[in-house]
Amino acid sequence: MKSLFKSKPKTPAEIVRLTREILIYLDSNSTSREAAASKTKREEKMLELSKYIRELKCILYGNSEAEPVSEACSQLTQEFFRENTLRLLIICLPKLSLEARKDATQVVANLQRQQVHSRLIASDYLEANKDLMDILISGYEIPELALHYGAMLRECIRHQSIARYVLESEHMKKFFDYIQLPNFDIASDASATFKELMTRHKSTVAEFLTKNYEWFFAEFNSKLLESPNYITRRQAVKLLGDMLLDRANSGVMMRYVSSKDNLRILMNLLRETSKNIQLEAFHVFKLFAANQNKPPDIVGILIANRSKLLRFLGGFTTDKEDEQFEADKSQVIKEIAALGPSS
Amino acid sequence: MAVHEEENRKMSFPLDPNSYRIFQKIGCGVSAAVYKAVCLPMNSTIVAIKAIDLERSRANLDDVRREAKAMALLSHPNILKAHCSFTVDHHLWVVMPFMAAGSLHSIISSSFPDGLSESSIAVFLKETLNALLYLHDQGHLHRDIKAGNILVDSDGSVKLADFGVSASIYEPNSSQTSSSLFSSSNLWFNELAGTPYWMAPEVIHSHVGYSFKADIWSFGITALELAHGRPPLSHLPPWKSLFMRITNSLRLSDYEKCKTSKNKKFSKSFKDMVASCLSPDPSRRPTAEKLLKHPFFKNCRSGDFLVRSVLQGLPTVEERYKESLRSQHDPQAAIDDDEDDEESLVAPVEKHRRISGWNFNERVLEMDPVFPTQDKENDREGVRFDGDNISQANASIHAEEIDRMKANPSLSPTQSCSLDDTDVDNARSKHDDVEKDKLQMDLGRERINEDDTVTNSEEQEEYEVSSTSTTVAAAPLVPVLRLIMDSLEDERQVLSNLIAGISGGHIETKHEEDIQETIAQLSLQLEQEKKRSSDLEAELECLRKTTIENSEDVSRTTYSVQCSNTTGPINISI
Repeated sequence: MKSLFKSKPKTPAEIVRLTREILIYLDSNSTSREAAASKTKREEKMLELSKYIRELKCILYGNSEAEPVSEACSQLTQEFFRENTLRLLIICLPKLSLEARKDATQVVANLQRQQVHSRLIASDYLEANKDLMDILISGYEIPELALHYGAMLRECIRHQSIARYVLESEHMKKFFDYIQLPNFDIASDASATFKELMTRHKSTVAEFLTKNYEWFFAEFNSKLLESPNYITRRQAVKLLGDMLLDRANSGVMMRYVSSKDNLRILMNLLRETSKNIQLEAFHVFKLFAANQNKPPDIVGILIANRSKLLRFLGGFTTDKEDEQFEADKSQVIKEIAALGPSS
Repeated sequence: MAVHEEENRKMSFPLDPNSYRIFQKIGCGVSAAVYKAVCLPMNSTIVAIKAIDLERSRANLDDVRREAKAMALLSHPNILKAHCSFTVDHHLWVVMPFMAAGSLHSIISSSFPDGLSESSIAVFLKETLNALLYLHDQGHLHRDIKAGNILVDSDGSVKLADFGVSASIYEPNSSQTSSSLFSSSNLWFNELAGTPYWMAPEVIHSHVGYSFKADIWSFGITALELAHGRPPLSHLPPWKSLFMRITNSLRLSDYEKCKTSKNKKFSKSFKDMVASCLSPDPSRRPTAEKLLKHPFFKNCRSGDFLVRSVLQGLPTVEERYKESLRSQHDPQAAIDDDEDDEESLVAPVEKHRRISGWNFNERVLEMDPVFPTQDKENDREGVRFDGDNISQANASIHAEEIDRMKANPSLSPTQSCSLDDTDVDNARSKHDDVEKDKLQMDLGRERINEDDTVTNSEEQEEYEVSSTSTTVAAAPLVPVLRLIMDSLEDERQVLSNLIAGISGGHIETKHEEDIQETIAQLSLQLEQEKKRSSDLEAELECLRKTTIENSEDVSRTTYSVQCSNTTGPINISI
């Protein structure tokens, strides 16, 4: 009966406003001294909030019956970023139920891609609110928030300016620890974000690596490539290959493959029992060998280990047939064999 | 509040291997093993630990991450949630609640080989549907619904497990077009994922895309699995069952026949429920929500009922696992299973059963629900590479096939299903013959290099190709063939294990030769399937044009199809 006389359905902008009102309420009543009476009220508000967030998600993603309507999405996005809704939502996330957190994460993720008048207004908002990234990144230290904040963060760094902010922030150093957290869900989420940061925006990454070469690769080598943790090493050596083989990073690559310390680390990775690590290590090692301007100490190491290396490479195969790998391998063998007379 | 408690509990499970004492292995798959263990600092709570070998796991680490994330964020009484997960050298340990009664698959194989009673099926399925409703509401497709992934605890509670191949519409993975804006077009998936027998037709035809309804299909197959003790077509190796699904629809009438012959009667509402799930048109299958309202689930009993009717007197999962190993020729074979099947939790049995089933397990064939006249095949299975026998059968199908096509040139697989309702009895028996012969057709392919049948089979090849191409688009065959390739690879593994066993055993070398030959044939077949797929792609285009121009003259189209029948090199070595 009630629904029959209910006023017409709320507009997307109205739902955003209602969501924001409750978030403001939650945010201002966050203190621990809440009376029993206000507790029930609070719970009611929470339920309402969950419902609104779910509705926002439905508008943005559509459902099995209906595709999303771009006009509605656009209204929603504009209203959302007109005021501080995103900040409130991020700050209040710990107070939401698991289901509402998941919905909120999906809403935030979607909003990063919504264009209004062919502009990503989420990007504009975030540029003015970069400190939100600080909150999202520190989420990796809070197990029950890490996966939600992590997913939001990955969407936010799709914006180049935001990715640059994160890269240049002090937080970058923390990633080396987050990647190795004991909790696998969180560690692997952090490592996915790290990879995204280091590969998504080519020019920004190249600029960052050039500027921060020293500390970055010192950390990368010691904390990741020489980590006692198998999965850290495996992911790191793969990422290293992806980074160095990217054309935008050719300068960084030349610098990397001219260091004998780096060569030593990669040669140790070649000796791993893990086939996956060996293979990924080979893809980096080949760059040392293929370098036409090898510094003398690199040449020295390669010559000193020539017979061992050639024996190893001779017996090094992939499970699957891989022409590219075989071609690379024979090239590397040729390079090493052609080095000056052994000492 | 409940959420908070949940989190606290989850957090308190320690993230280091020394806090756990492993008792015994209770299951294993290709790249993972499941152990029963206790968590020492938590009053020795019993847990199940799934140890995934990241070095052997073919899945990339992103998939493993997605699975861990799904298990960490899903929260529903009918879904198995991980307590925690952490790496131990190159293994990922996923610590989960121990489900004492094991998987439904293992329960069935050990104690209910002919299937469960309808009233207990209703309870299991209803609980599974609750999980499915929640998952779909969350935008998740499970993509591997089957009895092996439905776990039961000693109190009769039921949980859906294994999110190894699940997918979320909100987190498009790398193989999808992730650059586009999120929209409902993301509701469609194209990857081939799941376990062949349970896979919906639109998943196999993956170019058209599939969505939540693919889970509903697998749910329907699972219902049949619970009713009969095994899924339809499971006497065939997985890759053959894929072909059957492409060229034929499943026909419930065959099950009914089978049931009456076994004196096993199912209610109309059960049959109706299953039939609705197995509608070839995904849009006609009910949603999980609608399915829950089906009369079959009215007056459903509770977990207590399951304890009394099913769980009482069951061997423990440990015993069942040991038994499954004992029944194996070579325990090692347990490891070599089809890799596409994610390791099922606490259900090791199914792993090697499926592959070795068609070689060694006669009982499975006796229960064949799809081909009621199976006794002969049963014998034949023992001598399944006896050429004469098979080629003969081979010849007869094609006549049938062509007759059928002439009679109804536009007959598509979907339509052939509805035919059952209208056809008269003799037509149906003819259908059965076709069905039966289709099986033989598959076997027959293995013989095409046999001298005395070469000419014959070359002709047949043409028919086969044409009949397939009228019913199948070529594009989806590519992933299917890839799957087949993997499957063949797995079969090869089983065979090589067997050979290893034989070389140390007393079985005559003749068998070994047979097996060698089998391997050679399988690899030959593989080559041919590869060729065929590329031919098909080319021919499809040509066929389409021809069909449009002259839709009546189907038989001519048939003859015009070229099929390269040259035997490819045999690449597979032992």
